[in-house]
Amino acid sequence: MTERNEGSGVSTGRKLNRREFLKMGGAGLAGAALLGATGCGGGSGGSGDLIFSMGPDDAQGTMAALIKKFNEQSDFNVVHRVMPSDTGTYFDKLRTQLQAGSGGVDVIGGDVIWPAQLAANGWIVDMSDKFPESEQKKFLEGPLQSVTYDGKVWGVPWYTDAGMLYYRADLLEKSGYSEPPKTWDELKEMADKVKQDAGTKYGFVFQGDAYEGGVCNGLEYIWTHGGNAVDPNDPNKVLIDSPEAAAGLATEASMLSSGVAPEGVSVYTEEETDPAFFATPGDAVFARNWPYMYAYGGTKGYLKQDQVGVAPLPVDEGYPLASCLGGWDMLINSQSDMQEEAWEFIKFMTSPEQMKYRAVRATVLPTRSDLLTDPEIEKIPVVAQGRPAIENTHPRPVSPYYSDMSLEMNEQFNACLKGDISPEQAVKTLQADLERIIEAGQ
Amino acid sequence: MTSATREKKRRGGWFKEEFGTPERRLAYYMVLPAIIIIVAIAFFPILYSVLLSVTDSTIIGLGSFVGAENYVEMFANPDFWEGLKNTVIFTVASVALEFIIGLGVALAINRAFRGRGLVRAAVLVPWAFPTVISAVMWRLMFQDEIGIIGETANAIGLVSEPILSDTTLLLIACILVDVWKTMPFMALLLLAGLQTIPGEVYEAARVDGANVTQRFFRITLPLLKGTILVAVLFRTLDAYRVYDLFWVLSSEQLESLSTFVFKSVRISQLLFAQGNAASVFIFVTAFLIALIFIKLFGMQTGTEE
Amino acid sequence: MASATTTKGATGRSPLNMILFYVFLVTFVLVSMFPLLWVFRMSITIKAELLESPAVTATASPVADNYGTVFGNPDFIQALVNSMIVAGTTTVICLFFGSICAYSIARLRFLFKSPIMTLILAISFFPQVAIIAPLFIQFTAVGIINTYWAMIIPDVVFALPLTIWILVAFFRELPADLEEAAKVDGATTLQAFRKVIVPLAAPGVFTTAILTFIHAWNEFLFANTFIFDAAHYPVTVVIPNFATVYTTDYGAQAAGAVVVTIPLVILVLIFQRRIVSGLTAGAVKG
Repeated sequence: MTERNEGSGVSTGRKLNRREFLKMGGAGLAGAALLGATGCGGGSGGSGDLIFSMGPDDAQGTMAALIKKFNEQSDFNVVHRVMPSDTGTYFDKLRTQLQAGSGGVDVIGGDVIWPAQLAANGWIVDMSDKFPESEQKKFLEGPLQSVTYDGKVWGVPWYTDAGMLYYRADLLEKSGYSEPPKTWDELKEMADKVKQDAGTKYGFVFQGDAYEGGVCNGLEYIWTHGGNAVDPNDPNKVLIDSPEAAAGLATEASMLSSGVAPEGVSVYTEEETDPAFFATPGDAVFARNWPYMYAYGGTKGYLKQDQVGVAPLPVDEGYPLASCLGGWDMLINSQSDMQEEAWEFIKFMTSPEQMKYRAVRATVLPTRSDLLTDPEIEKIPVVAQGRPAIENTHPRPVSPYYSDMSLEMNEQFNACLKGDISPEQAVKTLQADLERIIEAGQ
Repeated sequence: MTSATREKKRRGGWFKEEFGTPERRLAYYMVLPAIIIIVAIAFFPILYSVLLSVTDSTIIGLGSFVGAENYVEMFANPDFWEGLKNTVIFTVASVALEFIIGLGVALAINRAFRGRGLVRAAVLVPWAFPTVISAVMWRLMFQDEIGIIGETANAIGLVSEPILSDTTLLLIACILVDVWKTMPFMALLLLAGLQTIPGEVYEAARVDGANVTQRFFRITLPLLKGTILVAVLFRTLDAYRVYDLFWVLSSEQLESLSTFVFKSVRISQLLFAQGNAASVFIFVTAFLIALIFIKLFGMQTGTEE
Repeated sequence: MASATTTKGATGRSPLNMILFYVFLVTFVLVSMFPLLWVFRMSITIKAELLESPAVTATASPVADNYGTVFGNPDFIQALVNSMIVAGTTTVICLFFGSICAYSIARLRFLFKSPIMTLILAISFFPQVAIIAPLFIQFTAVGIINTYWAMIIPDVVFALPLTIWILVAFFRELPADLEEAAKVDGATTLQAFRKVIVPLAAPGVFTTAILTFIHAWNEFLFANTFIFDAAHYPVTVVIPNFATVYTTDYGAQAAGAVVVTIPLVILVLIFQRRIVSGLTAGAVKG
């Protein structure tokens, strides 16, 4: 009865399966029903409200404001179901809900690394018809790639993020530099000089811990040296065992071994990066982080905004700019019985007007390319200084097995950074690991 | 033929004796509600996990029967062995420390002294503190350069590298945090056990000339056996399934059996069935551990009949 | 009470001994409290100072902001109430079913005690993370997902083995002729249990209650998986959400943690006397 639909596929077999799964659950419950009888009320949904699953709002409350605005002009209500702020915990929770066949959620605000996996499991809706190519063209390339899987488009990019280089404009100037570094070698050189001149504690801080952010950092080094993890046009083709990728990881490891970065960066996440760079008196000359950090400027206990500059990440001599793509997409649960309403809400939230509202109020970066040149948005310092980074983002491998790949990559990248293994070893191991994962998935 | 009927009759008699008398029936009625609650809720999930572990199921559906394949793959997986090794070290070290310190604390505060109420409450605070927060807080304290413990350990030359980047140091850190966090559980339980030992027993022993050490080994420990079994057994089973402490404190780096299960079942898209095999492995081995404990300490309840 | 608890303390202690004893005590309390003092410091510090290096020289500038954030958040107040309801109900249910079951095992005569004790324990053998998904399906099927019951039921199931095992251990310690004496006075088995055994086993019962309550109070995994809306979230789910995708509001988290630990300390202080004074040495013979 079950052999029929092994493997992938968004076939009818899947649904049948889930029903069986549910039935078994119900059967096992004869006794529990006894207890459950006292349970008050059912789950959410069903009341005609559209349930929108997403992490907590930003500090300015722009998400709540937009939902309110939408509800005022719509004949149904959108309710924000607040999910955990940590993406990993959020994904775990979402997966459990979807795995149980729960249609409780209608619209999903999802991390850019999720769509392929959700799509392969048949949990989200193919939006190729609703979101035609003519519309797609208005969006930035990187975010759009994150929702493209198996030749179809599974969501609308909502807001974006890109890895950026933060630098101490004031200290650089004092040491006689008028511009941020363009290459990784320049960065090391400048870091050493400024460290000596100004007595700064560290040269460069970034996220080297074995977690998702560590994958972003590692991939950025690989991309900016001309390497790649998988073929962007064919995610089943692993390319990581290359001299370019090894060179990238070698540069990352050299930051630590040469003393430009403190030993501690091997366990740094964003949490440790921002105080190390931004808290007065400022312990580091350079930092790699997401745009959010800029908002610290000028608040109590932090450096002033004019002490800090933002630029695209350096590259290895002669290679094009590359930043890791972050951000969130809007997806529709395939189990939802409010498909049309869901689409209406997504259209509203991803419209130029609402994107601009969030960008201006809360520095939530838009995914529509023409908005980056909007006079009001262009004035936002992160956009003004970091636009090349935002325009040159690369998505992490778009694969249903990305979670598995990420676990391997964060482990190898971190071991390489600590000097436990050589870059050549790391890329060789990863080549085998990633190929094994792809093979196991087929 | 005749012997079979006699056998049947005899068995019927036994059955009647066990369930026939009102006194015995009452005993079973009193046990039943708790059993029903546990079985009704937990029976299906555990059985289902066992079923998944012998199929090639994925997160979206039941697969076909594959025999022991998942188990074979699991035993070939180095991550599994790493998890098993860490789990065993962690369990033995933390439970042993917790027991020794916990017993010491229980003995120390099982007496009259000024402010003992406050001390007893203070002892319990680490355990009452929300785990989700304490793990994060400890991670901050262990951070290199910016955490107070990391900084101090560096300054006095105890460690030369960031604590959080070395798996051995991380394991030690996890053990220490666990001792800090759950020792109060042990102490409180043992204290309650000490309270049930009548004072006269000590009085009589003292009259007979037993010294402190003798009283401890001949009276306190034997009379405390039941409580010790419960305290150590439950702490061991908990430590054996350690997950959140490792996950948060080591930022997902340190593998335990349960983090292996977590990664497989709730993060990976591919290892779903293997993760269920690991769950079954934990279940079976935990069962063996419990049996050993019960044999070792003797579960007086069961042997009475 | 005094006769039972002070026996060992009464063996003439020299002043030096007493001093050493108090030194040990103070050291011990400091060690166990230190991390919490640190959290309190976090709760009155802003992040920039919190992670400043070197850590030891950082000067905390007390700010009430973090407590303002915490109490200004209606979800947090609601979460405190929710946690109380869930942990309280769990404790009552656990003690009710647990003590009945434990009494039967500890003091009545019947076969199959060992298998039953082991069966009860079996739930503690299984990694919780692995059975979350099937539980989710069950709870959805009976319509209790996203209600208090979705937290209370698994909390009860996972706390019951501990409750029963502890209570069995304590009930067994009571002298054998207690019920006999009560029955001579005309009490039924159940009355003997309620009126004689439970009061005498009070240290065990209250200890169990506190352990169960804290267990439920600290539960995160089930609450985080089975509950979707802020109206039902317990504190363990709300506190970590003082954060955005990249940054954690450590100050607010610390303040929240301090606020939720205080009720537990008060609880322990209240039940203090019960934990230690239940069984008096002369109860039976005297």
